[in-house]
Amino acid sequence: MVSRSTGTTTTRVIGIAAIAVLAWVVVSAFFITPADFQQGESVRIMYAHVPAAWIAYLAFITTGITSGISLARRHRTLGFDRVAGASAEVGVLFMGLALITGSLWGRLTWGTFWQWDPRLTTTLFLFVTYVGYLAVRNIDGDPHRRAKRSAILALLAVLEIPLVHFSVVLWRSLHQEASVLNPDGDVRLDDMMLFTLFSGVVGFTLVFVWMVIHRQRLATLRDLQQGVGLDAAIAARRNEGAAIAGGGQ
Amino acid sequence: MDLTPRPTPESPKRKRRFVPAVIAGLAVVAGVVIIGFFLTSSIDYYCNVDEIGVRDGCDDTRRVRVQGTVDEGSLESRGSITTFVMSFNGASLPVDYEGEPGGIFQECIPVVAHGRIVDGVLVATRIEVKHSNEYEAENAERITEAEKSACS
Repeated sequence: MVSRSTGTTTTRVIGIAAIAVLAWVVVSAFFITPADFQQGESVRIMYAHVPAAWIAYLAFITTGITSGISLARRHRTLGFDRVAGASAEVGVLFMGLALITGSLWGRLTWGTFWQWDPRLTTTLFLFVTYVGYLAVRNIDGDPHRRAKRSAILALLAVLEIPLVHFSVVLWRSLHQEASVLNPDGDVRLDDMMLFTLFSGVVGFTLVFVWMVIHRQRLATLRDLQQGVGLDAAIAARRNEGAAIAGGGQ
Repeated sequence: MDLTPRPTPESPKRKRRFVPAVIAGLAVVAGVVIIGFFLTSSIDYYCNVDEIGVRDGCDDTRRVRVQGTVDEGSLESRGSITTFVMSFNGASLPVDYEGEPGGIFQECIPVVAHGRIVDGVLVATRIEVKHSNEYEAENAERITEAEKSACS
């Protein structure tokens, strides 16, 4: 008997932990962390923008790894493929959030919502690539062939991530260089700002895990439902055949 | 056994194939457009003030994006025109801009100005602020320190 729910004790614990951590992030971001000496209050957007971008990277890397495993396994099951798809869906969501919050932050600090500079352009390109990946995943066909073509696409798409992250170092960009994951290894953040940012990353990671578990279970149920549909079709044809044979006698 | 689906007046499967294929096609088109915008606007987003007329793609006869720090004491408003001088690596460039720059524009901050150079003055149509990657608590001491270091 297959459970109709995608929730388990584990997902409930993860969900509650995510709510608790994100509640702390909201309180800290708005009421505890200081305003920035240069950007003032607008710096508070960072606590959503940076974790969203990092978790989008994490999601796309997860898609790449699980796609690689899915391709490499001799006896292909669809489990890793489903995780790859679920992770890409959540990644697109977080990357969209990073683009929106980044745009708002840009308006407040740079004075513009958008510019075709290296970081912004490569980020948008990454976002569009994964929207395309999800579209390709949803084209009907044999699930194993779908898994194979999606995995190849995912392995190519994941190569864009270093280009996005290091775009501010490789080219001159309006976007500032990284304050935490920079090549010097220096952390250029006030302690409380850094702690709140780290909390945001933990909270968003929990949301990511929670969503991916639910989405991949949903994909499993959908595949099972299609299997049930196939069984029903076979039974219906058998009945039709039996009726024709019976009528002919 | 023939398991070919029975024909129905409106096959939902056809629709299921069509919509993702259209989205995938649109994603490819969007990707090409993005790369097009990126390449036509040059990969390096700006030229520094000291590179104007020196570096390839930084000719003073064409529309340019110039980066430099707003000189202390140079910021003025003349009617609707904002004027200031921006400097980088010892080179300076006066800027005229119609309107008030947005964002966190102020003296001693790096900016990118878009426009054309007319008689040695950059007539800007857009000003963007390029802030640093340092985040510190706002207090009077830190602000003075930051202004000093930015202008020194």
